[in-house]
Amino acid sequence: MFSNVMINSIIVAAVTVIVCFIISTFLPGIERKYVHARIQQRIGPLVISPGILAPIKFIFKENVKVESPVPGLYKSLPVICFIVVTCLLIALTPQAFAIPALSSLVAIVGLLKVEEICYVLMGALSKSVMSVRMPFPDQIKGAVHNNAARSFIEDISSRRSLRMITYGSFPLYLALFAPITQARSIFLADIVSYQQAHGPFLFTVSGAIAAIVFFIGYMIILNEYPFSIIKAKSDVIEGPYMEYAAKYRAVVYLTRGFFMMVLGVLFSVLFLGIPPLITSWSILVNIIVALIFVFMMGIFSAFSPVFTNRQLLPTILGTTLLGVLAIVIGLL
Amino acid sequence: MDEKVPRSNIIETEIPMGTVHPAALEPYRVRFFVEDEIVQEAEITIGVNHRGIERIMEGLPVEKANSLTEKICGICSNSHIWNSCRTAEMGLGIEIPERALYIRVIMGELERLHSHFLYLAHGCEVLSHETFSMRVFYLREIVMELLAMIGGNRVQYGCSVLGGVRPRCDLDEAKLLRLKNDMDAIEEGLTGFVERFTADSIVMSRITGIGVLPQKQAIELAVTGPTLRATGVARDLRTTMFEYDNFDFNVVTQPDGDVKSNLVMRALESFESIKIIRQAIANIPEGKVVNRDWEMFDTDIIESYIEVPRGTLYHSYALESGRVRHCIIRTPSMANIGAMQYACIGDQITDAQLCIVQCDPCFTCTDRAIEIIRR
Repeated sequence: MFSNVMINSIIVAAVTVIVCFIISTFLPGIERKYVHARIQQRIGPLVISPGILAPIKFIFKENVKVESPVPGLYKSLPVICFIVVTCLLIALTPQAFAIPALSSLVAIVGLLKVEEICYVLMGALSKSVMSVRMPFPDQIKGAVHNNAARSFIEDISSRRSLRMITYGSFPLYLALFAPITQARSIFLADIVSYQQAHGPFLFTVSGAIAAIVFFIGYMIILNEYPFSIIKAKSDVIEGPYMEYAAKYRAVVYLTRGFFMMVLGVLFSVLFLGIPPLITSWSILVNIIVALIFVFMMGIFSAFSPVFTNRQLLPTILGTTLLGVLAIVIGLL
Repeated sequence: MDEKVPRSNIIETEIPMGTVHPAALEPYRVRFFVEDEIVQEAEITIGVNHRGIERIMEGLPVEKANSLTEKICGICSNSHIWNSCRTAEMGLGIEIPERALYIRVIMGELERLHSHFLYLAHGCEVLSHETFSMRVFYLREIVMELLAMIGGNRVQYGCSVLGGVRPRCDLDEAKLLRLKNDMDAIEEGLTGFVERFTADSIVMSRITGIGVLPQKQAIELAVTGPTLRATGVARDLRTTMFEYDNFDFNVVTQPDGDVKSNLVMRALESFESIKIIRQAIANIPEGKVVNRDWEMFDTDIIESYIEVPRGTLYHSYALESGRVRHCIIRTPSMANIGAMQYACIGDQITDAQLCIVQCDPCFTCTDRAIEIIRR
């Protein structure tokens, strides 16, 4: 009997993850087709193009030899990211509530940090041809710095990722901890049951402020414009992802869409008290929340240029203060 | 404004960009010497696109050589053929019909509009603001269609010929009416864009005080065109060109020499171009568009300077038995490379490509000279 319950739980959790993954493959397409393209009055790509067709195409492409000093680790990082995002979603399912070590905010934060560290490693290990200069100095200019040490542009990206870990993603983590002020517990089961008893945290003053902070943090951790300093086209181009081709790039694409979905689900768990459950209609709320986030992110990113440190620091500082305010109000 | 001094003794690392980079429309190499993501010095190297057009032009009949100059640039193709024809016309003393001069001015200003719109769109793209970029590209599309209407093509119009303009480029009533209506549409669209662009505080914070080129430095570096005017120097060769004698327009300047000044400069200058085109439509005289009554004879080296969208364009050659000799072409970007390198200094590496783009580089046209260093 016990084993049957356990097997059923595993099956339900697995189906929930699979359904969420399938839906997530549409999210990048929805953002590009129905938000960016509509705002920019162009047709845009097929809705299945960025999230489904592009990964399929990349899977069948021939891989290129990467110039990374540790190619094995470099190539495994997208897969690690995908596994981390999957674990994150599993942790959010009600079936995982039985494992407190997994379904706690500490575990969630830890998994998100692993995701962020992967960007640092990707940037540090990528040595793409984009930074290989022609092997002669500029004679006309006088070649004044002939022997300067050369960096790869991915190195900049790596340093920026590190900066994002130290302070960039701080607002997101503050927003994650805001619901604790109400539920007085770091376990998702308690946070969900508190909200089911007292109403969603989102509809409190503290929750509304924290939701804004969460949304900004969501854009930051997804490296979306205007916060995409680790993969800004104007300098570091694709940044950490520069050397990924073929099936590795396919994993990068799939992970991004999946991460969008999982963060939407994370919001509905922490702010609405609705965990993803395939056997319940409430999963529609998770999907709708993920879609709303995608639409909002698309709108904001379509109207913003990429930030430099001059804009990024005040924005993060302001958002962090807002997050602190949300926690203080929650505690009061 | 203080002069920026490269702190060359504290170079931390070199970051090469190019010759292929998505923020650059053309292949060029730039080596940034940076300290903590702040550019201390920049070196731009071109030469990837050298096609030897001047060499090919040597010995060609002047009519063919003129057509070839149009291939120098995909953006200011009309300016090249205009100036090349103008060079021969000056040397041979060919009188140009008044109507042809008006059509040349219309084509020149349409080209300025499409070049400036491309500049604005590219600037927004480097800022990673795709929405603004797309908006300007839609405006540019109207201009491109007008150019195609007059010249038959969107890029190579072949408008100017020796003695005037190609008869195909003559403007009838229907074309003039469409030009007039489209100028209204462009003005309305551009006004809306400028209002939105300048009211966007995030965009303004990204471009204000970035890539500053002080006026003194701009003059020292022999900067030309809108990049010079964006530093406050009211120098525009159109004020001295006889083609523009009958037109009333203002030389637009901006005070700061930064990215914002450059972008706003182009937008404001576009309004002046619309004004010039409207005057041309209203006052275009009747008559023939090409004067075929001229004789060929040998000449010394003839020089012609005109104001093109990016600055001063120089063509020179001599004529010998109707063929081109000793051809030299210098495009505005050649003079502006120094400004591009200078503008990057002191700004963040994210802004570096923006600082280069603000000087409106066109390296493919600039790849004229080649220096052979013998060791």
